[in-house]
Amino acid sequence: MSPEMNHSHDDHGEGGVPFLPDHFVKELAVITLILGILFFLATLMPAPMGLPANPLKTPLGIKPEWYFLSVYQILKYVPKTVGIAWSFLIFPPVLMIFPFFYRFYARYKYGRLIIHTLGALGVFLAVFLAALAYLGFE
Amino acid sequence: MRLGVLDFLDERLDVRRISREFAEHRVPDHVNWLYCFGGITFLCFMVQAATGILLAFYYQPSVSTAYPSVLHIMDGLPFGVVIRSLHAWTANIMIIMVIVHMLRVFFHGAYRPPRELNWVTGVLLFFMTVTFGFSGYLLPMNQLSYWATKVGSEIAGAMPFVGQYIQAFLLAGNKIGDDTLTRFYGIHVIILPIVLSMFLAAHFYMIRKQGIADPL
Repeated sequence: MSPEMNHSHDDHGEGGVPFLPDHFVKELAVITLILGILFFLATLMPAPMGLPANPLKTPLGIKPEWYFLSVYQILKYVPKTVGIAWSFLIFPPVLMIFPFFYRFYARYKYGRLIIHTLGALGVFLAVFLAALAYLGFE
Repeated sequence: MRLGVLDFLDERLDVRRISREFAEHRVPDHVNWLYCFGGITFLCFMVQAATGILLAFYYQPSVSTAYPSVLHIMDGLPFGVVIRSLHAWTANIMIIMVIVHMLRVFFHGAYRPPRELNWVTGVLLFFMTVTFGFSGYLLPMNQLSYWATKVGSEIAGAMPFVGQYIQAFLLAGNKIGDDTLTRFYGIHVIILPIVLSMFLAAHFYMIRKQGIADPL
């Protein structure tokens, strides 16, 4: 790794705080808090069992799990092939490889701003579509 | 001459250097609470492994036994309700934490060179986590599981050209049955835990190797 590639702090230099005990104590606090929240939810709001699966009886308003709601909603507005091609064949690879073009777009004054704005718009759109699906809009 | 356990291990496995590397590495000053979501995701994964193993002792993946076996976990076993509820809640919170972690990395620009490969493993870990959720959702074999899986597999089935093959592969046939359950179960408790653990190891190795990114 060339020196200009390595943006990290020197792990054993003067900067920062030692992992033990300084940082680790904070991590323990977060672990305790999260486990507390999980046990709180699991004991006070146990997972429902629901009715056994019945292929002959379609329940009203079936929806996918919340993390698929935005994809589910897109498919109502665009042709199925387009929506699925976007959700499964275009979006994931683009999301995966865009950092490899960083040196290209960061050369431009607003390059980074544009990428981050696109990201923010994408997040906003996904949340908006999921909310529409959750509320049952067609 | 006093030879302790630590000396014994140190001579053979160099444990002092490894533990020093773990304990004394320094965490940069700009690390604040926004940086904790990846770690919380890992914590969720460990909770899922622990509760999931306990559930696997009693769960029976077939159309006629799945629902009654989960009911037995809930009603007939000590703390069964808590174990299953922890598993269900943590699944959702894990996905939320992955998303928040990704957003943090994205808007901090922490994906930029030399950390592109860690972003790639992270995106793959996100998709694996979602697949974990999707495959686990069917297992209790209640109305929600059945119809969510039906809708989900139909969406996959509508993919151009390959859709019908993907749907047939997912369901292990043309409808949700015993083979679908064992397929989802195998993906959920064998394939995904192994593959996700390997990618996690790579993810963590790269964090230690490349350090935590400086702020933009």
